[in-house]
Amino acid sequence: MKLTRRDFSKLAGTGILAAAAPGIFAPALAQNKPLRIGIIAPRSGAAGTAGECGIRAVQWAVERLNKDSGIAGRKIDLVIEEETNPKDTIERLRRLILQEKVDAIQGLISTGVSLGVAPVAEEEQALVVMWDGTTQDGVKEMLPNPKYVFRSTDNECEAVMGSLLAVKHFKGKFKRVAGINPDYSYGRNNWEAFRQILTRYGIEAEYVAEQWPKVGTMDLTSHIAALKAAKPDLIFSSMLFADLPVFMKQGHAAGLFDGVKMVLPAAGWQINQLKKEFTPEGIIFGHNTLYFDLPQASPLQKAFVQDYMDKYKEAPHWEADRAYFAMATYKAGVEAAQKAAGKWPTQEQVAEAIPGLEVESLGGKGRFRKDKIAEQVFYQGPSTNTNKYDFPTLASVDVFEASQLQKPPGADFWEWIKTAKMPV
Amino acid sequence: MTELVDVILGGTFHAAVLFLVAAGLQLVFGVQKLVNLACGSFYALGAYFGITAVGLALKLGLPPLLFFPVLILAGLAIGLVGLPIERVLRTIYRRDESYQLLLTFGFLLMFQDVFRYIWGATPRTMDNVYLVYGTANVLGVRVPTYNLLVIAASIAIAVGLGYFLERTKTGRIVRATAENRDMAEGLGVNASKIFALVFTVGCMLGTVGGALVVPSGAASLDMAVELVVESFAVVVIGGLGSMRGAIVGALIVGLMRAASISLMPEMEMLSVYLVVVLVLIVRPAGLFGKATA
Repeated sequence: MKLTRRDFSKLAGTGILAAAAPGIFAPALAQNKPLRIGIIAPRSGAAGTAGECGIRAVQWAVERLNKDSGIAGRKIDLVIEEETNPKDTIERLRRLILQEKVDAIQGLISTGVSLGVAPVAEEEQALVVMWDGTTQDGVKEMLPNPKYVFRSTDNECEAVMGSLLAVKHFKGKFKRVAGINPDYSYGRNNWEAFRQILTRYGIEAEYVAEQWPKVGTMDLTSHIAALKAAKPDLIFSSMLFADLPVFMKQGHAAGLFDGVKMVLPAAGWQINQLKKEFTPEGIIFGHNTLYFDLPQASPLQKAFVQDYMDKYKEAPHWEADRAYFAMATYKAGVEAAQKAAGKWPTQEQVAEAIPGLEVESLGGKGRFRKDKIAEQVFYQGPSTNTNKYDFPTLASVDVFEASQLQKPPGADFWEWIKTAKMPV
Repeated sequence: MTELVDVILGGTFHAAVLFLVAAGLQLVFGVQKLVNLACGSFYALGAYFGITAVGLALKLGLPPLLFFPVLILAGLAIGLVGLPIERVLRTIYRRDESYQLLLTFGFLLMFQDVFRYIWGATPRTMDNVYLVYGTANVLGVRVPTYNLLVIAASIAIAVGLGYFLERTKTGRIVRATAENRDMAEGLGVNASKIFALVFTVGCMLGTVGGALVVPSGAASLDMAVELVVESFAVVVIGGLGSMRGAIVGALIVGLMRAASISLMPEMEMLSVYLVVVLVLIVRPAGLFGKATA
């Protein structure tokens, strides 16, 4: 067969088109495929309850989104991995990026793990929206200007709020103060923040005992004996794992709480375990960014809480909100970036679009600042046992914005706490 | 004065539970020369099973006041899991000690996944029964009656175990096997049966300990590992293989820890391990252990 010049041109043209086709049609094909989102969350150990609650919330969010139009028209598939120690979690992060080829990663609760994961995510140019993880060593920011990594509100926000409410509700009613806090930077910083705030408000407290049980200590009888011996009027505790209900149970049995005021800024994480029979009323009780029984809750929160309680027979706590917030923010970021670019956005474009976008989360409106740290709404108040549940709710709800409780970008926490304009 | 009583009671409660697990460890090592790292798993197993058993008993309409005997029975019943485990361990009795450590450590890790599979990753608590016995006043200190019951149960078990080993025929055979297995077998003792019995009793001590502690605390996946560490401190102080050593070691660890928490909380574990180091230097075999060449 003789090949004419015209035939050759036709063939060559077809060949070029065929070679170029994957490039030309790839975005269109990609948009038909579901988005793959990696979730990294603890499912066992001290933070297992929190991780489980977050996973349930993100599954609820994805179910709703997939019933609608997904994210920018694409359905969502979740790839769930476990958060354990930093080394193994980094391996799983790499697996999600390199093997599972996920479009984004959400999750992470432990700051100890997040500190290790964040630089790797930056190096791999992978978009990560953390639920509860920060990149602070204590209160010092270790990753000031990340490009791809979005962090939660500072962990000290709830302690700052709890301290302010202790001033608001208990000022003049206590003198002798004791603390029992988890023995790592979170517990130590919260206790110091509490003391600094009391000083700022001119409260001359006498600090009569400090206890630092290791996370997960389940026999606290000796710690309780030491606290009792100190005869405090007020106890501040930022315990938040399974040891908190144990402390309350053992403390109640030993008569530790008789006539003593309590400030528990992170108690909401253990809400279902803090039974009325051993939890006194009038505690400054922190729910962080989701109070499940908020009287003026949004329709979104009401729908979520209803579904959650029907399905799991327990109340959701703030980790659910953090997980929902991460997904809602990612959705808003993708859709804004797509609109701006006119095509499916890269992870870099999504990361650039997210800061400043306000989204509705379960606990209220929230956004990421330019330094990629979240700003959300916090709920705390004095507790009551007069309700239909077998655990306490809030007798009245105090609501603060993160901007009132969190140091501004680049600021030193300890300097800020001395000079900041406080909302109480 | 009341502060001191409070500290002593807190330390004794901790020692009571610690003794049960350490006694299981001691018994098994004393007779079988097996360092059983899985003893912490038996403790956790007792705790989880105790929650299930009490939940079931309450559902069946048993009065809450009876939950204490229910817990002891639950601990004893689930302790029978020692029998099949001993059958597996039998394969490595005559091998190097490192095999024993690896295999029992393997059991420790496997049990964690079993607990996760059956009871989930979330720590489990028993809400309604810890306070059912009310509180007692001991020398001006308010203390949960339940804590006193646990201390009493632990003393009773120690006395019962001592009686069994010292005064009964089976106890004498157990001691003879511990002294010289080959000689005992030469005299017609079925050492395999004795090993199965001893391992199961050791397992039961752990499971009863776990079942008794859980109403005041919680059952969690980490509890096995945490207790193993403290149990070994007890064993080093008391002397490997000695029951008297288990009692004294548990009391030293429990009271030392309670005193440190009260006086200098940062020294909680350091104080215990200072004693361990001191004992290892001055009396390497432990306070009641037999020195070996």
